[in-house]
Amino acid sequence: MQPQNLRAMTRASLLPVVAITLAAGIFVADTIADLEIAVPAFYTVVVLLAVRFCKKRGVILVGIGCCALTLLSDLLTAASGSTGIGFINTTISLLAIATTTYLAVKIESEKAAAYEARSQLAHVGRVTTLGELTASIAHEVNQPLAAAVINGNACMRWLAAEPPNLDEARQAAVRLVKDANRASEIIAQVRALTKSSPPKKDWLQINDIILATVTLIESEILQNQVSLRTELADDVPPVQGDRVQLQQVILNLILNALEAMHRTSAGPRELIISSAKNDAKGVRIAVQDSGIGLAPDNLDRLFSAFYTTKPDGMGMGLAISRSIVEAHGGRIWATPNAPRGAVFQFILPMGMEP
Amino acid sequence: MSENKPVVFVIDDSPSVRDALDSLIRSVHLNVQAFGSIEEFLQFKRPDAPGCIVLDVRLPGLSGLDFQREMAKSNIDLPIIFITGHGDVPMSVRAIKAGAIEFLTKPFRDQDLLDAIYLGIERDRSRRQASAVVAVLRGHFASLTARERQVMLQVASGRPNKQIAAELKLSEVTVKVHRRHVMRKMKAKSLADLVRMADKLSDSPETA
Repeated sequence: MQPQNLRAMTRASLLPVVAITLAAGIFVADTIADLEIAVPAFYTVVVLLAVRFCKKRGVILVGIGCCALTLLSDLLTAASGSTGIGFINTTISLLAIATTTYLAVKIESEKAAAYEARSQLAHVGRVTTLGELTASIAHEVNQPLAAAVINGNACMRWLAAEPPNLDEARQAAVRLVKDANRASEIIAQVRALTKSSPPKKDWLQINDIILATVTLIESEILQNQVSLRTELADDVPPVQGDRVQLQQVILNLILNALEAMHRTSAGPRELIISSAKNDAKGVRIAVQDSGIGLAPDNLDRLFSAFYTTKPDGMGMGLAISRSIVEAHGGRIWATPNAPRGAVFQFILPMGMEP
Repeated sequence: MSENKPVVFVIDDSPSVRDALDSLIRSVHLNVQAFGSIEEFLQFKRPDAPGCIVLDVRLPGLSGLDFQREMAKSNIDLPIIFITGHGDVPMSVRAIKAGAIEFLTKPFRDQDLLDAIYLGIERDRSRRQASAVVAVLRGHFASLTARERQVMLQVASGRPNKQIAAELKLSEVTVKVHRRHVMRKMKAKSLADLVRMADKLSDSPETA
């Protein structure tokens, strides 16, 4: 595979450089300019930039640093200009920087709280609805099945009686058939429920889907201090499938990777998402992490429903992912990553017609 | 002692399970009364016969487990066999601790249910017999005079006639006469028999 389109996540690493350059520029301008000119007010821009890449404490430090720079350049330029106006200007600038820092930190922490609440809500919602749904379906199906078993037993007992009570046995058998049909009806209803939106068959560029998915959880990736690399090959053929479903698979693999890396403190956290042409027949997508990795004896059970290694997992994510990939005519598997972590890959065949 | 045929009360909100249980239990020659809810069961006038309840845990309104707790208040003393579609361990532990005969998860083996039903009926039968004996004793005890009752309690607690006479300020001869009457009225064959009767009377509270 030749990664022709190497996209590094540059935005996060570029911002501090921009901020430092700007601060240096303001400092130079402030030192050169007269005291009457309120150049230090522009430090507020540096503070606002810092919010994008720093945590709360970092933003406060940047604010203090800007104030210090302001005072330093005042000392250096004390020779020229009116000191009275200069003093007022400096005070205004310092107040502006302090206020901006305070507001930025406050807004940022409110935003973080809101984000936290939202993601918790989403998780809880997902788990409870799925849990309640399965419990309710299990109960609905179990009820007629239990009745069928009891009726079958009753039927046998009526037949075994001396003399056999054929009428009672027949009635029990009739009820048994009714119960079994009822169970099968419920299953048909559940299937109809899940099939209400049949998978679409659109022509899709898998790279677009990967990038869109990455955008969705970019903030979560940054928050987990994970460095993300996407290695998307330019020559991947389009595939036919359901965009939302495939996005769900990729999202699920990325979330698993983030969680696997969250659960270990060993080494740098690296997430690599790659796409490649697979033997001229389709596309291969891989999500590679440096997390806790996979126990070798669990590899075959990973994709089974209700199997989970997470303390509060449902064991549905990979099972659903597999059913989606297989519905697209593809295959999904996992292998250990060297030196740490896991690689989850799936292949999608090219569409029937070009 | 003649006794009515045992009755199994089935309480399950699912008509299909109810009908199936009705048929299964009848197939082993037991009487069945099936109900869709606890309210229906409570409105039913129960026959004077030993029995037990086959109770679904998940019921509309009062749940099976709640009902188990409420039963003592309603003066119902029938053994319970729980059946449930989704049994969890804490739930079954709770039910068994509160005196349930068995906790079966649907679908269960028919023999397991029938064994539990037989055990429940047996337990109810001996409970009923024991309380019938107590009722007879209570009748006998009621026929005693106040003085005779005093003497009986003193005798049952192992005191000699002389001491009883001193305690009740009677002559020893009078105590002996009272004692003979007590033995006759209570239909006690021996002193040990009388002590057992006194125990039974003091064990069962005056509710029935």
